[in-house]
Amino acid sequence: MRFGVVLERLAQLIPVLFGVCLVVFLMVTLTPGDPVEIMLGNERSTPEQAEELRRQMGLHLPPHERFFAFIGNAVTGDFGRSFFHRRPVIEVIAERLPATLELTIVAMTIALGLAIPLGILAALKRGSWLDRVATMVSLAGVSMPGFWFGIMLIMLFAVHLGWMPVSGRVDYALEVPRLTGMILFDSLAHGRFDTFRDALHHILMPALTLGLAMSALLMRVTRASMIEVLQQDYILFAEAKGIGRARLILRHGLRNALIPTVTVAALETGYLLGGNTIVETVFGWPGLARVIVEGIFSRDYPLVQAGVLVIALIYVGVNFVADLLYTLINPRVKL
Amino acid sequence: MLVAVSAPSSAADLRVGFTQDALTLDPANHRKRETETIIRNIYDGVMTQAANGEVLPELVESFRQIDPTTYEAVLRRNVKFHSGEPMTAEDIKFTFDRLTKDKAMGGETSPRQSLLGPLQDTIVVDAHTVRFKLKEPWPVFPRMLPVQEVVSKAWVTRVGDAALAGQANGTGPFRLVEWRRGDSIIMERFADYYGGTPAIPPAGPARVDRAIFKIIPENASRVAALLAGEVEIINEVPIHMIGQIERSGRARIAKANGTRTFFIALNVTKPPFNDVRVRRAANHAVDKKLLIDKLLGGAATSVAGVLSPESFGFKPGIREYRHDPEQARKLMAEAGLSGGVDVTIDTEGAFKDQAEAIAAMLTRVGIRAKVQVWEGAVLTPVWRAQNKTRDMYLSSWGSGALDPTGIFVPTLKTKDRGNSSGYSNAEVDRLLTLADGELDPAKRADMYHQAERIVAEEAPWLFLWVPQDIYAISNRVRGWEPGSDSRINLHRAHFVN
Repeated sequence: MRFGVVLERLAQLIPVLFGVCLVVFLMVTLTPGDPVEIMLGNERSTPEQAEELRRQMGLHLPPHERFFAFIGNAVTGDFGRSFFHRRPVIEVIAERLPATLELTIVAMTIALGLAIPLGILAALKRGSWLDRVATMVSLAGVSMPGFWFGIMLIMLFAVHLGWMPVSGRVDYALEVPRLTGMILFDSLAHGRFDTFRDALHHILMPALTLGLAMSALLMRVTRASMIEVLQQDYILFAEAKGIGRARLILRHGLRNALIPTVTVAALETGYLLGGNTIVETVFGWPGLARVIVEGIFSRDYPLVQAGVLVIALIYVGVNFVADLLYTLINPRVKL
Repeated sequence: MLVAVSAPSSAADLRVGFTQDALTLDPANHRKRETETIIRNIYDGVMTQAANGEVLPELVESFRQIDPTTYEAVLRRNVKFHSGEPMTAEDIKFTFDRLTKDKAMGGETSPRQSLLGPLQDTIVVDAHTVRFKLKEPWPVFPRMLPVQEVVSKAWVTRVGDAALAGQANGTGPFRLVEWRRGDSIIMERFADYYGGTPAIPPAGPARVDRAIFKIIPENASRVAALLAGEVEIINEVPIHMIGQIERSGRARIAKANGTRTFFIALNVTKPPFNDVRVRRAANHAVDKKLLIDKLLGGAATSVAGVLSPESFGFKPGIREYRHDPEQARKLMAEAGLSGGVDVTIDTEGAFKDQAEAIAAMLTRVGIRAKVQVWEGAVLTPVWRAQNKTRDMYLSSWGSGALDPTGIFVPTLKTKDRGNSSGYSNAEVDRLLTLADGELDPAKRADMYHQAERIVAEEAPWLFLWVPQDIYAISNRVRGWEPGSDSRINLHRAHFVN
């Protein structure tokens, strides 16, 4: 893969991100509801006080000026000030993003760790009891709403058995080293194994809630793709050549079968980043999705715009990496 | 960087499962009740409020009115900030200037400015005495002081205004240890605490080592955390989970009348509710007792008028519309509407069940109501506009200070900011204006009562209820009971074996 092609692909992302900014800006601007009125609530205020707040929020400017100011500033990394947190939006996002990333990474690890072996086994033993059980479990996984499954996990493992904590990222009494904001990584890097163990304990239930649903889908994709690949002539040919079974399945079968799995995993990562509000709420997980939803209800325009832009950025970034992975998995794939 | 927490978790740590995180730790830079609840454990105020709503001196020994527009406060001598510096009159002036003067908060104006109404200036008389000078008489001024907290002038000057968003240096019973945003706020006992107001015994330092607010937005998870022993107090207990908590044997339910009056604003500027008989018919049609028992789990107090029973100026004796569908139908017939009339009740998603139950009751007497659910941010401006186009609005209005000036004036004075029904009555306006400046509490209360009688008679609202705030408290915890201001001040809370 040529470096020039990668640059070209990167350049193509610019209009995509501009489009995201424009759509989000239009959506928040056109949605009825005035942030100044929401902030002042029912309390008494003079028109001058309301006007001063409006000026502080930059809402006295016409929409097109606000949009171009947002784009101009965003390029320099300045996303403005949150109306309700009353400080730079980038600070709010930087505090919340690591928690979301950490949860996404652990959930995706669980999902792929379950889906790929189970998908292969189900494909190899097509029609067997293992295939049927795996298919049934995956169907249940896809169908179960996250909030319900999360609360069931809490009731069983936290309330009745007392094995797991209900909410939060780590026990308040433990030292939390700061490096990336991802507690699992930071505590390991600082050799704080007590914090690492506790953080792992806390992340398990939310990550399982997200990861199991995701693994169900990924398993079905891997299974279907593997079955298709195993029926190809080159597999038959390789088998005729006397290649060992393990090598045949992993090198010739799985490698080709993984492309749809990678595609779906990349798309699902985007979903995990932006769409796990429910799981973040159920488990009191202080992530980005929750703070964006709160921002939508309070019409915190800068927070919503910047938050969505960051998620979009990561989303296109992950999909871009997935494109690159195709070429590594299967060199015949050209970008 | 390592952020150290001073001691391992212990039985003397009191944990609150709370719905929302603080937006900031700067007492002057927010307008959120939940933020206030959290930081009020770190910062004390000039005045405080007892669970029964009584306003009491906190950081001051005495607080008195010198003339209609001047109040004088004499400070306690032994108050220290968490940084160790003593509190002086300069700190009080700095705090109130920061709240009320334009651009006094690092170049910005405090969003709490309007909460202090006509406060014009804070004058230092001597190191321990300050005077608050108002532009005009405003009897509610002392009631607004418990929601403003005192900051240190020297410290704010040293760290800069922006730093207050994440750091804290108050005079309260707890010192900030760490704020893990979105997750928890960890505080520990401030050993040099002056003890709080002696008027609410026992005074003295906090009785638990640490107080932790754990942010758990989801109702079911908050209840689970209580039942799993992860927290000792939770707020906003959903009605359908009260039984589960009571049966657990681990915790008890505690309720306090909230600060919000619920009502349905009836648009009096157009038919059918421009006819008082139809408005009265609507009030007679609704069985409030049934709704409170079945939909609100009994956790609400029916109101005949505007004011909560906890509010200043509340007096019993206002005649409540009894549930009488026959009388309602008679009134509808008198209004020439025996064939019925079609109307819409606007409300937010959270109150859909209540609106639908009321709609069914209204329909039975000929007011055929359907419910339309909107988002609050959209609905509020529609109903606050001067030109009213819709029929009915199931809404509420809160007054944290529990004073009629915060609820009666905005919702029922002609063209005031929350007058959704479009109601206008010259006598009510006159009484409300007079009461706003009346310094004799007894006369002031009488004026509100007279105005409330007129409003009850003219029924611009379908009068509903004041819901109770519902908390659950571990059986091991004593020393904290909810009050009507929805604060969770943990100063006196402690454990029993």
